[in-house]
Amino acid sequence: MNEMPLSKKVVICLTAIAVFLPIGLLFWQSFLDAPFFNVDKKVGLDAYRFIFDDPDFRQAFLNSFYISLGMAFISVPLGGLLAFLLVRTDLPGRNWIEPLLLIPVFVSPMILCFGYTVSVGPVGFVSIWAQKLLGSVPWNIYSMTSIVLIAGLSHVPHVYLYSSSALRSLASDVEEAARVAGAGPLRVAATVSLPMVMPAMLYSGVLVFFLGFQVFGLALVLGDPEGHLVLATYLYKLTNKLGTPSYHLMAAVAMCIVTITVPMVLSQRFLLRNAQKYVTLKGKGARQRTLPLGGWRWVAAGLVALWLAVTVLIPLVGVIFRAFVTNWGEGVTFLEAFTLDNFKAVFEQGNLMRGVINTVLLGVIGGGVSVICFTLIGLASHRKNNGWTRLLDYTVMTPRAVPGLLAGLAFLWVFLFFPPLAPFRKTLISLWLAYSVVWLAYGMRLVSTSLLQVGAELEEGARVTGATPGQVNRHVTVPLIKYGLLASWLMIFMIFEREYSTGVYLLGPGTEVIGSLMVSLWGAGAIDIISALSFINILLVSVGMGIALRYGVKLHD
Amino acid sequence: MPIAAVAAPAGYPADYQKIIDAGKKEGKLVVYATTDTKSADPLIKDFQALYPGIKVEYNDLNSTELYNRFIGEAAAGGGTGDVTWSSAMDLQVKLVLDGHALTYKSPETGKLPAWANWKDQAYGTTYEPISIVYNKRLLKADEIPKSHADLARVLANPKLKGKVVTYDPERSGVGFSYLTQDLKNNKNFWDMAKALRHSGVKVYTSTGAMMEKVSSGEALMGYNIIGSYAFLKSKKDPSIGYLYPSDYTVVMSRVQFISKHAKNPNAAKLWVDYILSNRGQQIISDKADLFAIRSDVKGETSMNSLSKQLKNGARPIPIGKETVEYLDQKKRLDFFKKWQQAEK
Repeated sequence: MNEMPLSKKVVICLTAIAVFLPIGLLFWQSFLDAPFFNVDKKVGLDAYRFIFDDPDFRQAFLNSFYISLGMAFISVPLGGLLAFLLVRTDLPGRNWIEPLLLIPVFVSPMILCFGYTVSVGPVGFVSIWAQKLLGSVPWNIYSMTSIVLIAGLSHVPHVYLYSSSALRSLASDVEEAARVAGAGPLRVAATVSLPMVMPAMLYSGVLVFFLGFQVFGLALVLGDPEGHLVLATYLYKLTNKLGTPSYHLMAAVAMCIVTITVPMVLSQRFLLRNAQKYVTLKGKGARQRTLPLGGWRWVAAGLVALWLAVTVLIPLVGVIFRAFVTNWGEGVTFLEAFTLDNFKAVFEQGNLMRGVINTVLLGVIGGGVSVICFTLIGLASHRKNNGWTRLLDYTVMTPRAVPGLLAGLAFLWVFLFFPPLAPFRKTLISLWLAYSVVWLAYGMRLVSTSLLQVGAELEEGARVTGATPGQVNRHVTVPLIKYGLLASWLMIFMIFEREYSTGVYLLGPGTEVIGSLMVSLWGAGAIDIISALSFINILLVSVGMGIALRYGVKLHD
Repeated sequence: MPIAAVAAPAGYPADYQKIIDAGKKEGKLVVYATTDTKSADPLIKDFQALYPGIKVEYNDLNSTELYNRFIGEAAAGGGTGDVTWSSAMDLQVKLVLDGHALTYKSPETGKLPAWANWKDQAYGTTYEPISIVYNKRLLKADEIPKSHADLARVLANPKLKGKVVTYDPERSGVGFSYLTQDLKNNKNFWDMAKALRHSGVKVYTSTGAMMEKVSSGEALMGYNIIGSYAFLKSKKDPSIGYLYPSDYTVVMSRVQFISKHAKNPNAAKLWVDYILSNRGQQIISDKADLFAIRSDVKGETSMNSLSKQLKNGARPIPIGKETVEYLDQKKRLDFFKKWQQAEK
């Protein structure tokens, strides 16, 4: 079983092409001085020279860096603490808190930030209320501090996911020992539990840090009024800075982002390997007992509730409120401004309605096809370790380093200038491919988690009785991971519903989806429609989460 | 419906029937436009009623997307919009200058102001004043400026500190072009810019976002807002008021041209003529709430009624080489530098 079948090599090659062709185009474009399809382009470093000379680029870079740093410093401790509270202690309401916790993962930051402007913006209803109570509004939602804070708070779930699954795999006897020796819950968390899952937290810290460099929707909405740029919104600004779109400059910025994030993505591999080493520390058996919090119980519950209120409740209420009014602000009451026109507008406008339908199609059918593809890719490297699988490993990781916005632009070029694909540009297939590649790493993780659960002896048993590798896959491996795959489908569905930046450049008749429509409409300022679309998008995600909860699909691994 | 049922509009050249027949044979028209679908919908419906058999595929894009998509598709050669219709006048003229436009003299040309036809390629289709909007609930009459010259007085009011919004010239191409028009028409432009910057003006990239801020009271006044949007919003939203500055009012026009790469050139010609025709302009004025450019169209949102209100104050942005003056990198960056310095 050393020789790899041709079919697997083909799968690996196709994956590599789907990933590296668009990124290669971006790379090539960054060294030109005009769009790559122009006749009079020249190769050179002009693009890099321009952006490095541009004070805006420096500012955007610094802002992105602060956001990344702030995100890591806020979300890692909070995420770790939250994981400890929910997994290890008798925190009241643990069971229903968890799904709420994950809302920021599945609702796009654009929607959340849009909600913030309505609820805690300068004349938001929470702000007006604070004004009455305190005499002035003690916060400014558009300041850099707020942006960093919101970015940090909304990424707490990412850290939570990794820390909690690491914690779950650890037995609690060490913690109990600490308890018996007289340590309080906070001390147990800080000196025993969290250090044990340090690799997982470090891993998620790196993840959050490089996600910080890709922040787009948040800065697009909240950074607008005071002109706080981050790298991704700087890309947008570049378009107008020179009057005409400057692909070479945009590609150069993209390459800067990639240069920063690739090493981090690679370091994650290293960290993950270490993290798995740590798991050997687990005690005998997986006996876990909850730690009584005692008097801390309600303090902890209050903290979690506060986090939920700030990160989930306030923005969501804002969005939902805005979707049902014509105008708002000081002196406007909900009843006199109440309207359903915003939704009527969505249903009456062909492109918006298509957007809603396409979003569902892309999530349900596209998500399903993606899971099939991810499974094929997973099977291609299943229980193999050779040059091919290493190539695949890197291929899968790479798209993580590219912000969705640019991946979408690169895919637009691929679909424009790669003749075999050209007929599909104006169909959902173009979007589907871009989405699948952008979320490749995430999807592969879902699928391979299932694959790794299949005991090797089952497959070997089939092989010994004479089954071909294809038969093993069809009759043993895939049937065994059936439920895992269904769960992955649901997760991919929700991620595809949420995605907003990848489709921006691919947007056209036939390829409208809610996410990219919102970015485009934000540019045009159609706030009424954006709020209605946001509401519909939240509904779609809720359906996904509802199914997940109903059938006990774990929302994380 | 039989093809022969459609006759050429009155006053059109005799061989116009050929264009109609050819257009019907094409059966389709792809329009790339920045006018939102909702406003354009009455035009599309009426056009399809006038020329049954031609299906309009209307693409509502923002001006940058439109430009990007057009040049990309033109280079790839796989077909692109037959007509592009955009409020980013400079980008439209640039496309024409780069040789992407088809030369076609519309039979309606005579009915348009001379500046609205450039080389029989680019046509101005609307006449939209650039206005100042304000929050009616929260501002009193004497707190509202009457003209550009009056702006400095009003901005000195501490109530407006940090409560004025305008386009960010660095992030919005249209916002940039309105400011450069101000520069041309206003001797004291940089003083006005200083007054704006010192009042802590907040800058945005879209009219809608600004209108939302003014409506909610987060801001109280919006400078350089496209009049058609202000008009439309003020009809639905009791908080919004608007005015045209009395010393001069910049007027912009949505520019359209037929692509040289058009797959449906005849249908495109029919569309261009229709938009410029009395029938189309009447809808532009009455139903789309954009402002009609033809002098024989009456109504609140038309050049006619606007000229009466503005007296001699209207300053239409010319369509021609001077439209792209500020696409020159150096000139553009110089302007930004000065704009940033105005803050000090």
